[in-house]
Amino acid sequence: MRIARNLIPLTVLMTMGLGIACKKPAPAPETKQEEAPAPAPAPTPQAAPTPAPAPEPLKADEAAMMRQAADAALKDINFDLDKSDIREVDKPKLQAIADFMRSYPRAKVQIAGNCDERGTVEYNLALGERRAHAAQAYLVSLGTDGAKLPTISYGKERPKVQGHDEESWLINRNCEFTLQ
Amino acid sequence: MKRWILGLLLGMSSVLWAQAPNQEVVLSATAGSKVGIALARPQIAGIDEAVINREFRDVIQRDLEEAGPFAVLKNNLPAGSEPSSYPAWISAGTDWLLICGITKTPSADVEVVLQVMDVKPGKPVFNKKYTGKEGALRRIAHTISDDLVARLTGDRGIANSRIVFVRQLSPGVKEIFQIDRDGANLSQLTDYKSLTLSPSVSEDGRLAFMTYKGGAPEIWGQMKPGGPNVKLYPRPGSPEGHCFAPAWSPDGKRLALVQGDRKGNSDIVILDVESGRVRRLTDSNCINTEPCWNPAGTQLAFTSDREGSPQVYLMEDDGSNMRRLTQEGSYNASPAWSPNGSMIAYVSRFEGKFDLFVYKLSEGKSYQITTGIASSESPTWSPDEHRLVFSSGSRGGMQLYTTDLSGNTLRRLTEFAGCQSPKWLKIH
Repeated sequence: MRIARNLIPLTVLMTMGLGIACKKPAPAPETKQEEAPAPAPAPTPQAAPTPAPAPEPLKADEAAMMRQAADAALKDINFDLDKSDIREVDKPKLQAIADFMRSYPRAKVQIAGNCDERGTVEYNLALGERRAHAAQAYLVSLGTDGAKLPTISYGKERPKVQGHDEESWLINRNCEFTLQ
Repeated sequence: MKRWILGLLLGMSSVLWAQAPNQEVVLSATAGSKVGIALARPQIAGIDEAVINREFRDVIQRDLEEAGPFAVLKNNLPAGSEPSSYPAWISAGTDWLLICGITKTPSADVEVVLQVMDVKPGKPVFNKKYTGKEGALRRIAHTISDDLVARLTGDRGIANSRIVFVRQLSPGVKEIFQIDRDGANLSQLTDYKSLTLSPSVSEDGRLAFMTYKGGAPEIWGQMKPGGPNVKLYPRPGSPEGHCFAPAWSPDGKRLALVQGDRKGNSDIVILDVESGRVRRLTDSNCINTEPCWNPAGTQLAFTSDREGSPQVYLMEDDGSNMRRLTQEGSYNASPAWSPNGSMIAYVSRFEGKFDLFVYKLSEGKSYQITTGIASSESPTWSPDEHRLVFSSGSRGGMQLYTTDLSGNTLRRLTEFAGCQSPKWLKIH
């Protein structure tokens, strides 16, 4: 396949388009604020394993302890561009999540896979799913029950930060772990 | 590239003559060059001239420019529209002169009486009267443009067509919107206050899209034109896994979509919407996404990383005869099959930004359509195949544009950022 690259009038015009885009008010300065938690899927009425007695609701202080432990343990992991491999640097974070899951066997944690803006909408939805599953598979390899780790992908639709540089893109290529 | 575009126009004209041998040839210009067209200052009764200029003159000029076969004359036009003025019009480059009377009738309707003169032979080529409610001037202008394209080429124009797209309203909230092809009449089609993405519109006007409104992604859409949006997928018994990227088949009975598996792979499946039957077309340890039909509904183009990087592939609608289309570049995606089936538009990434390309199947060759600082994404074709609509911008400020394949008539449709995934509707 040869590519004829000789068609340029758009260059100028697209640059004009850029100029217009740039006149927009700058995005709010780097608010690295917490994203709103993912909309929780309607709790699926799990067919409880047959003989198990209905689990008692967590006591208030237990729930608070679990939330506190989750805050400490559930940290984002990040990915290289176009990749879904778990990076060495993130393995201790996943170990901490596995330890948390072992300490709190009733915890359910959603893994949300995300991408930076430099891909197509629907390729990134698939890539985010693959990242979420890579994290899930690694946690399962550490002994966590995969059924307690539902996955979802938001592709490039919910960037954590609004910047458009290498640092922001790395932050936005992530898995987020949310206690449900 | 220029030569190729010209060839396309010539080819189209000869097909037209072959199909309609009895049609009177009205062209005084030679086939292949553009017909000079100008609007004489309209005679107005009961309507403000500023309104006429904004809602009629500017609209029809833009429509005719984007239509392709016309060269629109806008500046330093002669006064008058009587036969005595024709020499002045001719020397300004005019072939067709549009002479309009625009009146507000006692019942507050708008009436446009149009006469088109081919000024070189001094012969009328088209006459028609248009009426509409007040505020219909824009639509009348579009209809006139479409009529003139039909008069010239035999194929109706697309000035009256619309585009559906996704617009971000706030972080994490995206909804489906609709806009006229020239950027007028913006309206909101969904209001889920959630992430709603990837619209597809069937040829009879039914919407399908993916939404997170219930938490997990689902495919929603219309079973009947104008009907309510209902959940189309997953259904009871559907395999576990994510689903997204719906694409209506040309006959509107099937939806191609992406179905995930337990390992995080993504496959193309086809849902028979009426029966709920699902057929899996791809099955591999990789990403298969962005399904798009050929106009006959017998093949699909899609994006896959099966050989390591995202590339565009083709296959039959049963998953057989899979072959790779794009060969150069490390990230080719977002295929869109042209309405007559001979071209596939797609995007190619270089240094983190996308440009539009068009692959001509008969030549086995790609042509670059955009180049520049901005990233241009998600191309889809106009129903007449002359233009592409796409999103473009940088630093997240994506807006909607249309362009012809030469890039000579690039137009921005929107005046707000946060636009993505435009789809050009086939119906008016």
